[in-house]
Amino acid sequence: MRKDVLIIGGGATGAGIARDLALRGADCLLLEMGDYCHGASGGNHGLLHSGARYAVKDPLSASECAAENAILRRIAPFCIEDTGGLFVSLPEDDAGFADVLVRSCRSSGVAVKELTSQEALDSEPGLSPRLSRCLRVNDGSIDPFSLVQANLEDARSAGATVLNHCSVTGMTVEGGRVSRVEVRDRRGVLSSAIVPEVVVNAAGSWVSVVAEMAGCHIPMGLDQGSMLVMDGRQCSQVINRMRPPSNGDIAVPNHTSTILGTTSRPAGSPEDTTVAIEDIELLVRETSAMLPSLRNCRAIRTYGGVRPLLGGGGREASRSFAILTDEGVDNLLSVAGGKLTTYRLMAEKVADRVCGMLGNDRRCRTHLEPLGPSADGKGSSIPQARLRRKYGRMASSIDTSDARVICSCEQVLRSEVKAVLKAGDALTLADVMRRTRAGMGYCQGFDCSLSVLEVMLEERSVDPLPLLMEFLEERERGFSQAGGDQLRQGLLRQQVLKGVYGLEGKE
Amino acid sequence: MSHVLVIGNGAAGTFSSWLLARKGWKVTMVGRGTPGAALSTGCLRSVPSACRGEISEFLDNEHMPWATGEREGASRIGTSFRCWMSPSHTTWTDDEKPKSIAVAGLEGHPSLQIRVASALLNERGVRAEPFMLPGSVPSDVPLTSWFRNDEAWEELAEDLQRSSAEAILLPAIVHLHEYPRLDRLERRCGRRVLEAVSPLGAPGQRLADLMLSKARSAGTVVWDGRKVSALEVQADEVRGATIIGGSEARHVATDAVVIATGGPLVDGLVLDGRKIMDPFGRFQTVRRGDALRGGYHCTNGKLISTDGRVMTNTVGAGDCLSAERREYGSGLTEALESAYRAVRALEDA
Repeated sequence: MRKDVLIIGGGATGAGIARDLALRGADCLLLEMGDYCHGASGGNHGLLHSGARYAVKDPLSASECAAENAILRRIAPFCIEDTGGLFVSLPEDDAGFADVLVRSCRSSGVAVKELTSQEALDSEPGLSPRLSRCLRVNDGSIDPFSLVQANLEDARSAGATVLNHCSVTGMTVEGGRVSRVEVRDRRGVLSSAIVPEVVVNAAGSWVSVVAEMAGCHIPMGLDQGSMLVMDGRQCSQVINRMRPPSNGDIAVPNHTSTILGTTSRPAGSPEDTTVAIEDIELLVRETSAMLPSLRNCRAIRTYGGVRPLLGGGGREASRSFAILTDEGVDNLLSVAGGKLTTYRLMAEKVADRVCGMLGNDRRCRTHLEPLGPSADGKGSSIPQARLRRKYGRMASSIDTSDARVICSCEQVLRSEVKAVLKAGDALTLADVMRRTRAGMGYCQGFDCSLSVLEVMLEERSVDPLPLLMEFLEERERGFSQAGGDQLRQGLLRQQVLKGVYGLEGKE
Repeated sequence: MSHVLVIGNGAAGTFSSWLLARKGWKVTMVGRGTPGAALSTGCLRSVPSACRGEISEFLDNEHMPWATGEREGASRIGTSFRCWMSPSHTTWTDDEKPKSIAVAGLEGHPSLQIRVASALLNERGVRAEPFMLPGSVPSDVPLTSWFRNDEAWEELAEDLQRSSAEAILLPAIVHLHEYPRLDRLERRCGRRVLEAVSPLGAPGQRLADLMLSKARSAGTVVWDGRKVSALEVQADEVRGATIIGGSEARHVATDAVVIATGGPLVDGLVLDGRKIMDPFGRFQTVRRGDALRGGYHCTNGKLISTDGRVMTNTVGAGDCLSAERREYGSGLTEALESAYRAVRALEDA
């Protein structure tokens, strides 16, 4: 199969590149080995950065974030919540840091406004009254799953082919070019190897692994970050600790929960997302210094992501990105580093390079064309707004006349699951969850996993047990480190599924 | 009249309260949530002989003789669906086991996922055929509410006659006092009707409702939404407890205590080094045999202080102070039996 561009990786970067190139008329194919967002694009806290976090140490990333923040709010308001953000310092923090932060923000174009303690407490009553200084910034929360789906949807309607569950298994390099790319397709759509003009390696944490297939060596720092999902929205704005980037310095309100982040330790491999129990204790300890109610709040689950960082990795590594080429392989571009907030900019730069190689002189339009429905929320009901946030333009294809709920924790309609399955690219229960949120709530799929499986069986022939076990195991990894009521619920679930559905010995 | 404090309002707590109240104790039952909300999963299997009299009396009055008799197929209070899905716990012999089952359910209703259930049964060598009942019930409305009138049962019987399978697996559709309807349905179809139990609607819950109303009518004072934050010990006896709920904290004096809280070995699972709710409602990390924070140690149904004194007026009912390792499905049976033993032990003391 001949293609102008083969994009490897269906995270935010790959999806952004596919959209950008497709809008410029390039014939592209995007392959994702798992499901979209299955790497760092899904394993983050869903923060739309104002840029302030990087202003002091990494001014370039800060300006990139600030500019992209404004663009994303314009083109993709449907998946962004304009929560605003606060940087809060406590008496034990370095008192001079706030001044340094304000100066750095101003010089890198990050909007910032100082609030008095009283103003801060008025706008966010859950903050610790011990706070000494507070800055307001343009943070927001973003749903990375629907952002990526919207990019892919746009890419598809502009002619791109986009496939998940399809991995690249090998590359042939001839005459200094990748001439052939072998693939394994779990869905059975692709039957032959790909013959691409240009290969874009946007495999995120796997970027070195993919480059290695063409004999190129890319040094990447892999860095594991842990997050903790707390029940309910414990704050209405993104709450950052006003100190140099450190562990446990942020709480992001997103959908029905508050996400506490993050930690940083070297990861052995892109799959090394395992969360250490000490990290979880640290997250609660640190973030509850800013928001005391977090101490008594129910933890829903933990999850981890692996950041692909340029160079060494760790807190000191730049959050900027680079496009890497190898002298021996002319038509392979690897993109590494970056952040969810700057995915579009990365995609634009990569697409510029690709178009140069293809002799395509069309300009980038991704910052001009809206990605989904407009932000105009007037007159729309809460359920409509909720559907738009999850599905963007696809929201209108969901039959809301059928009010049957399939996931009562996240209030997911049965018709949402049906619509997602009709699209054909959700092969597992986790795929359905990433698209609909069914299974992300309190019970972690205890109640809805069987119902979703039932709908899957109705739509097509699948082997239910392996799907169920895979899903339950993944969910269990998340709640096993949550204590208290969540663990009790988890154990109840385990017992019931073992006993009622006879799954003992299979877990 | 002696005052007993029952801590925990699951199966063991409610049953203990009922037994004690009937014997003339002044009972206060305290629980963290809605009574029965975190009830033992599982089924009432063949009833332990020691307390068969009490349970029979109790259940016969509710027109559930089969629940207490010798095994006669699967107990309908038990999770017959579970018994089917889970061969190691089945209460059926090979002869009794049907070769084919029609799995009946309503499209889109979470009570019984007929395709999933059929696939699991097929995997276990029982020929299962999904059987869609006509009609529509909103997913958040329990099926029981749909089968309250004779007309609905008549239609159901007609529908079920279309099936060719040896037995019919139905989602849970009856209240405890309506079990005779299921018998009539069985006779009408000429086939065994099994009741499938979905995870969140175990019949154990119905039993809990029933036991709670019994415990109440026998005179138990029920305080839900509260937890015991401290026990006051004098010599070798617990003489009082601090109970908190919302902003309120109160002290109650007591002559005896039944601890029926579940945990630290939750539901009989052995959990080394994991965070589990302790009997007094706090979080702590326990390993088997570790002392619980607060200076207590629990073993063999006894509450023991760190200096080795056994609290003579305190007993454990259910899993709380006794369970070592339990099989799934023994939950309700063991909870009741253990509650019965606990009450006996208290009376002896």
